[in-house]
Amino acid sequence: MQFLGARHPPKTVQGSRHLAASLLLFVPLVFAGNQIGSILRYPDVGSAVLFVPYAVLTAALVVSRPRDWVWYILIDSIAHFVTHWPQWPMSWVLLATVANIARALAAAVLVARLCDGIPRFVGVRTLWCFVVGAVIVAPSIGASIGAANVVLHGASDDYWRPWRAWFTSNALTAFTMLPASMALFSYTAEPNRPRVERRRLVEGVLVTAALCATAAFILLGSIERTNPAVTLFAALPTLFWSALRFGAAGASGALTVITFAAIWSVYRGVTSAAGPSDGTILGLQFFMFFTAGPVLALAAIAAGREAVVQLHRALLASLHDHVALLDARGVMFEANASWRRFAESSAAPLHRARTGDDYLAACRSSAERGDVMGTALFDGVTKVLSGAEQHVEIEYDDPEPGRHETYAIRIESLERPDGGAVVTRANVTARRQAQLEIERHRRELSHLARVNLLGQLSGALAHDLNQPLTAILSNAQAAHKWLLRDPPNTEYATEILQDIIDDDRRAAAMIHRLRSLLKRGDLRVERIDAADLVSEALDLSRSELQARNIEPMTSINPAAPALLGDKVQLQQVLLNLILNACDAMNDVEEPRRRLELSVASDDLRTVRLSVRDWGVGLPTDLIERLFEPFVTTKSDGLGLGLSISRTIIAAHGGRLWAENNPGGGATIHCVLPVAEPPEVATAEPTSTLPDAVRH
Amino acid sequence: MRSDHTGRRQIRVAIVDDDAGVRVGLRRLCEVFELGVSVYASGHEFLASLDHGCPHADCLLIDAHMPTMTGVELQHDLLSRGVQIPTIVFTGDDPDAVSAHHTGLSVVACLRKPVESDDLIAAIERAVGAVVSDPDGPR
Repeated sequence: MQFLGARHPPKTVQGSRHLAASLLLFVPLVFAGNQIGSILRYPDVGSAVLFVPYAVLTAALVVSRPRDWVWYILIDSIAHFVTHWPQWPMSWVLLATVANIARALAAAVLVARLCDGIPRFVGVRTLWCFVVGAVIVAPSIGASIGAANVVLHGASDDYWRPWRAWFTSNALTAFTMLPASMALFSYTAEPNRPRVERRRLVEGVLVTAALCATAAFILLGSIERTNPAVTLFAALPTLFWSALRFGAAGASGALTVITFAAIWSVYRGVTSAAGPSDGTILGLQFFMFFTAGPVLALAAIAAGREAVVQLHRALLASLHDHVALLDARGVMFEANASWRRFAESSAAPLHRARTGDDYLAACRSSAERGDVMGTALFDGVTKVLSGAEQHVEIEYDDPEPGRHETYAIRIESLERPDGGAVVTRANVTARRQAQLEIERHRRELSHLARVNLLGQLSGALAHDLNQPLTAILSNAQAAHKWLLRDPPNTEYATEILQDIIDDDRRAAAMIHRLRSLLKRGDLRVERIDAADLVSEALDLSRSELQARNIEPMTSINPAAPALLGDKVQLQQVLLNLILNACDAMNDVEEPRRRLELSVASDDLRTVRLSVRDWGVGLPTDLIERLFEPFVTTKSDGLGLGLSISRTIIAAHGGRLWAENNPGGGATIHCVLPVAEPPEVATAEPTSTLPDAVRH
Repeated sequence: MRSDHTGRRQIRVAIVDDDAGVRVGLRRLCEVFELGVSVYASGHEFLASLDHGCPHADCLLIDAHMPTMTGVELQHDLLSRGVQIPTIVFTGDDPDAVSAHHTGLSVVACLRKPVESDDLIAAIERAVGAVVSDPDGPR
């Protein structure tokens, strides 16, 4: 029985205390059951009409640990002996006991195995497994041994009559009593029993009262004298009630009471010494059997439905986000606890909507009052409810004064025939702040990288700035001398002053450009001409290139369309690439110390900027990793430049990658989207292009 | 050296700088002191101007940083041609560091840009071993 123990260890009850509790219940039940069985018998065949011990023993076995089974089997056997011996021959009692034990074992093993532990009758599948194991297979086994016993002891010539009697009574017992018995034993053994709600307790009392009334009606209105079926139909309302509200255990309990009442009424109504006929009893059993099936099925379906509802409630309640369900008209038919709590603590009419309110109408009236949020919500809910959109997301700041929270509302269409929508509201303040913080860090890092870049260029930049300053000082001193002459040469001095003005402007422009690169500014997106970008980057690095003896070259497609981006950041990327290219050529001899900047337009939607060097090239294993932070080929590099560059380009919706040139050296390509992509280019690229060329 | 109208020989300087603005400014400054000035945009231009290996100047003013031929390269070239001309080097960097590069060459002075007129004239006087007259009186 190892497999059985292994299959439901958490469901079986551990410990001798629980064994004692179970036995306390088991002993009286099994003795009483045997007594009842010996009273209610088929007049002709002699076997029990309802055999309670089958249900009691099977239930005890299913619920307990296999190692405790021996106790139950032993007690059951004793009870059986005490009841039937010595009225019946020893061999008969012995074989009947074997039949009982075999039947109960088969039922317990099959039920536990097929239903995966103690059956819970939630959904019809468990019921089917239960029927196959405990109602069909196990009673067949018991009936086969029992009928053989009857025939062996000469009580009947016919094998199939006792077989049928054994089978019917045990199948009916399992069908009506076993679910309730299993519930009873698992309840007895349950270490921590859940508290029963007051309302449920009241309902339990009511259904029990109804059940008693029904049983009394059946008992008093003797079935034999009236039309039996009509009296039994009186049980249906109570059976349905218990099935719908108290599950398979409740239904089974009710079925047990009704079955007993019905059978007893048959015996009560008969005055003749011969007792009721087998036919009457069999008919009654069939009636109960075919009533028990649908009633238990109903119970299982209702339990399944209840489980789904509970899961749905629990799921909604477990969600931290505020969730509301709208029907197709926009009326809120359900909201979770988070939503309700938020509604109670809010003053804004939009937030106060709760179950039963017309959410769409609340959005509309909010929109009519000019609330931007209300308008957006009304729009979103309308779109989702009408099916125009599958889902809509809106982020907004709490309009209530004093609340500095950011919320994200997501309206998602409910996938069901009736339509509707799910509105989920989440507090995203922390996420938003984290995003802002990350963005701030990114900007800061990028700024630091830029400052670092200009630091590398500082020597060259100082030289560049010194040129106009030198010109200005020399010119000024010369002009000063000419003006001191007698007579002063004002004409020449004026000419010199004009040059001073020009040189000063030249220096100012340079400082301005440097300042914009050094400034810690917000992202400023503008139209940028790629050729301008390249020439400005080259201007900034020209002196550095001179100092390093590197010859810059450009290859610019004048037809390349304008880009959309932040000039300073793109400038930073280009400068970074130029300086990297220079570093790559540190050990390269003169004629190869060249650098090429190119602007190309591969298609109408992108512009490609490339920086090519004739340096040592990139190690192939580093070509992709190069853009990760702290990966560098330089001995003195931090390895942040390219990673920051890639972040910048990605933020522009572009792509940055490296490749080695066939003739040596490396090229870094940067593809950026154009400012105004052609609208029809993707739809009909072949038909628009030739037209454009023709005109 | 040519003689000027006062009978004194006119000191001639050659200015080599890639920046047109700087060339004009330095030329004007030198002209105030009645020096003979010739300007060249690059070392190559200056080398091309040599008359059978002889420069038309008594003193050479060069920028240390030039694209096609740096100041040091020009001086090495002159040295290899056997041309000896006292030279003043301008630089935006630290003059001491730059003059170290020019050790062994005929560098008289290394001046930081922007150049003060007094420093320039003093350096030229040192280079040519003669006094530069100031037409406007004592400096």
